[in-house]
Amino acid sequence: MSPEVWPVIILTLQVASVSTLLVLLPATLLGYVLARYEFWGKHVLSALVGLPLVLPPTAVGFLLLRLFAVDGPLGRESLGFDLHILLTWKGAVIATATMSLPLVARTAKATFEAINPRLELMAQTLGHGRLATFFQYSLPMARRGLLAAVILGFTRAMGEFGATVTIAGNIPGRTQTIAAAIFSAQQVGAHERADFFMLSALVIGFLAIMSTELLAQGRSLSGIARP
Amino acid sequence: MTTPITTPMTTPVTAPAASPGLRVQVRLPLDRFELSVDLNTEKQVTGIFGASGAGKTSVLEAVCGIRRHAQGIISLGHETWLDSQRGVCVKPWQRHIGYVPQGGLLFPHKNVRQNLLAGKKRAVRNGYAVRQTFETAVHILELGPLLERTAHTLSGGERQRVALGRAICSGPRLLLLDEPFASLDLALRRKLLPFLRRVRSEFQIPMLFVSHDPLEVQALCDDLIVLQNGRMIAHGAPRAVLTDPQVFPLAEQQGFENVLPCRMVDDQGSTSRVRLGEAEVGEGTPVELVTIRSEARPGEAMLASIPASDIMLASKRPEGLSARNILPARITQLHSVGHVGLATAELSPDLPPLTVEVTERSFVELGLKVGSRVFLVIKAMSCRLYWAEGPVGSLAGEAEQRERGLVL
Repeated sequence: MSPEVWPVIILTLQVASVSTLLVLLPATLLGYVLARYEFWGKHVLSALVGLPLVLPPTAVGFLLLRLFAVDGPLGRESLGFDLHILLTWKGAVIATATMSLPLVARTAKATFEAINPRLELMAQTLGHGRLATFFQYSLPMARRGLLAAVILGFTRAMGEFGATVTIAGNIPGRTQTIAAAIFSAQQVGAHERADFFMLSALVIGFLAIMSTELLAQGRSLSGIARP
Repeated sequence: MTTPITTPMTTPVTAPAASPGLRVQVRLPLDRFELSVDLNTEKQVTGIFGASGAGKTSVLEAVCGIRRHAQGIISLGHETWLDSQRGVCVKPWQRHIGYVPQGGLLFPHKNVRQNLLAGKKRAVRNGYAVRQTFETAVHILELGPLLERTAHTLSGGERQRVALGRAICSGPRLLLLDEPFASLDLALRRKLLPFLRRVRSEFQIPMLFVSHDPLEVQALCDDLIVLQNGRMIAHGAPRAVLTDPQVFPLAEQQGFENVLPCRMVDDQGSTSRVRLGEAEVGEGTPVELVTIRSEARPGEAMLASIPASDIMLASKRPEGLSARNILPARITQLHSVGHVGLATAELSPDLPPLTVEVTERSFVELGLKVGSRVFLVIKAMSCRLYWAEGPVGSLAGEAEQRERGLVL
């Protein structure tokens, strides 16, 4: 099998991991804010967060391309220097992060919604301020749901194709991920190579789903016993 | 635990010298009405009584500071938690309040020990001897065997005891108890009552205690307010308030129960005998009562409860009756509520009086007046006995068995 298959798999895992780490904090905070607070424009924010889920991925990719293009708002001409996003692995990270953020934020929101807000008030009456309550009570109580959200986000990032190829291209050894590699191999009739990538995706995906199932076993995602 | 029955516990660890004055003067708009309470008390335990939906829980929530729209003044001793006019509104986490909500609200990600210590930081900051408080709470609430269990494996009664312990261990200046046993069946509630009384005497923290159970309220409170549709309609000593014509109908199906402190005298096989009053040795002629059998040892402090509707009045000493108790008494008060007559009868000047419920017609036919000499006729089966505080270490097991359906 040539060219090399392992760099593709390593790059895919690398891009998905970095993008998941990047998304985790903002998505968790966003989920918490949407679950707990009422504020002006909440529905608009909620819709904006969900947008990448319903748009064609290539549209999202093209939007990012416009943003980071040489003459775009985050391009060389506006900033005065080059971020080196287009056609690099960083571009792939930005594309996959954008696509997986809504999924992580929504799962986080559902997780926080399943936690009785009175438990947080309880923590406050025991002398914990808002920040301490969030970090010592809300987050630990949501840990299972958040872990499931992370796994979902990671798999979404791994499988992302449309947005990634639009902004980062499909350069073997540099920006080609499993999803793109399967497409390229199938286009040129390299079925063995396509099979290999398809099976790798299958194994990684299966493990990810299995682990969410195990997490959910016996307990609800928020860590509260099921009746 | 093998502690002897009435060991005096360690000296109270969180006790202020005397109960500091509690002032709760708040207005709070609710869905159906505006809550308006004006309470000023120096008693240790103040009850808040009323039908469900009367605003009882909202009062507690305003006191803990989780109701942002509360207006008015809330203070305890020199500490002011809310003073709207001066723009003071202390955050819930700075109020030093131990809250025991309905259902317990234990933290699902912590075991019992961790739940109990959830407010440890504050307790340390406030200079409380946390370890000692923790040990005392575990001891009197009999939580030892539960410490390593997680919250969701506990039964309802256990959860409430842990929630109570958690509040105590957070070094509170005020305890708020929101119908701590409301979700449990009546018999189990009675078994948990001694735990509350132990907390009351051991820690001497001022408490606000919400309940709609006349017996609980009398067994625990020194002072009582009654809420109806958000308004405070009565305030005073529990027995007097509960037999007030305006309040009496609120007790609904349970009716009024007389709650009398007493001491166990002996076990007579199918019945028990107690001496009314709290004193260990009675002065003057003791008044004795024959009750349903209890296994308590002689001398043990108990509470006897007698429903007001189970007491008969006789103008002459009746003969040939099966009732075990025929007690001479003097009527001190008479009033009617709807078609029911309520008579207050005094057995002896140093005992709390009893309230008797009879029909208005009987009032007339017996020619009852304030000052009339009467006899109270009470069946032994109408007199129930409960532990006042009970032997430490022995009550949890019994409560637990009852909850798991092992005993009736």
